[in-house]
Amino acid sequence: MILDGDLLVGRDLATGDRLTGPALAASLGPLGIGGGLVTSLRALLFDAPSGNDEARAAAAAHGWHTAFGVDLRDPLTALAEVERAARLGVRAVRLAPDRQGVPATAPGLRAVARAVAAAGLVLLVEGDVRVVGPALAGLGVRAVFVDAHFYHLGDFVLLARDEPGFHASTRLLGDVDGWELLAADAGAERLVFGSRPGWFEAAAVVDRLAASGLTPPERELVTGGNLRRLLEAA
Amino acid sequence: MIIDVHGHWGPWFFSTDVGDAAVNLRVMDDCGIDLQLVSAVEAVVYDPLTGNPALLPVLREHPRLRGLLVVDPRELDVAAAQLAQLLPTGLFSGAKIHTQYARSPGGSAAMADALRLLAEHDLPALVHTWGDEIVGLADVVARVDGARVVAAHLGGPDWRLTPSAAARTDRIWFEPCWSTPAPGRIRWVLDRVGPERLMFGSDATLIHPAVTLGAIRAAELSAAEEELVMWRNAAEVFGLDTGGSAADAVEQRGQ
Repeated sequence: MILDGDLLVGRDLATGDRLTGPALAASLGPLGIGGGLVTSLRALLFDAPSGNDEARAAAAAHGWHTAFGVDLRDPLTALAEVERAARLGVRAVRLAPDRQGVPATAPGLRAVARAVAAAGLVLLVEGDVRVVGPALAGLGVRAVFVDAHFYHLGDFVLLARDEPGFHASTRLLGDVDGWELLAADAGAERLVFGSRPGWFEAAAVVDRLAASGLTPPERELVTGGNLRRLLEAA
Repeated sequence: MIIDVHGHWGPWFFSTDVGDAAVNLRVMDDCGIDLQLVSAVEAVVYDPLTGNPALLPVLREHPRLRGLLVVDPRELDVAAAQLAQLLPTGLFSGAKIHTQYARSPGGSAAMADALRLLAEHDLPALVHTWGDEIVGLADVVARVDGARVVAAHLGGPDWRLTPSAAARTDRIWFEPCWSTPAPGRIRWVLDRVGPERLMFGSDATLIHPAVTLGAIRAAELSAAEEELVMWRNAAEVFGLDTGGSAADAVEQRGQ
């Protein structure tokens, strides 16, 4: 079964759509997804502490891992949530600057990333990798860019050459040779399966996986090995 | 049987190595696609004057690829000359208009003029649509006698406008490829416009066909819907031979 690094529950204000933990869990089986890393949109869009408690409860109920969401509009609470994540044994923190209208140049972004790296946690990072990637460079972070688009694949490869902790999610790498190009240039260790089921047509990513030219060992890395390695090291 | 009405041939300016027609055919084989309508990338993103003729030898060599002649609505004199020159080759089954690269929105007067020219040749057009221009495009199609248009991408993020566009005229069809597909979008559209108005397109070699095929799989088409969406609508709108040539294509695919 696939491990998905990009699970979300809650309500997306932009679309008005909502997804509960049980509804998400019910959708995963038919996709061949066995679990993954879940964040609460409540944490990203309204209140990080209560949203992160919601995500922990969903993860506990369904056997998933939790990624704490932080709100960069309040970087002080964000830093406190990073500390709380480390205390609670939560292994990942999700940044969503675009959702929050926060520019990648905001001091809070690098401060939170630095704290995440110091705590040994993994970052999930939303947004244009060409913008948010350079903002996180040089901090020693281990990060999965969950919105990395194949339009920007060349820039991600360049970033990855300098940043051994940078990884790309599969979700938007839907071109003909993006997975294969990344595996050849940066290594399949840098590709993490993410499909954002319920918020994205996850079957499209599953079918892109089926059509991929990855070797069986590379496929094992992408569909679970890499994420497990990141979380275990956290 | 699968017909892909939205393909491209030639190199892209992105970090991707798909310029050889062999890539089109390999990916078609991998995905079970029998025929693909292709426009030259060069003609879409740079210049139809050089891009359209560059496609000719590719079409001659690979009968599973059928041509879409790119029309820039700002240069209809070029388009008219190329239609006169290239349509007699029998290698082109339709036209392609990209509203953004050609800076000609779906609802513009330039689009109307372009569709009028194509209607004179009884040539259907695949038209890129993004945002609410899909409705403006449908209004233009309704006003231009004989125009037949397939609206690519369902308007992208404004896909919920598809039923409004469909209601404007029965001479517009829809094609769903998108690199960031929203969940449930294809079923939502199908249930509102009917399977006679939707046809498969991939945007290969920009996007892997598996992406849109996965989205269609998620829509759980009935057998009747699948026949219409995956090939019959395309065959009828673009006048594609699904007898001999399609059988040949299937045979070639099996080789």
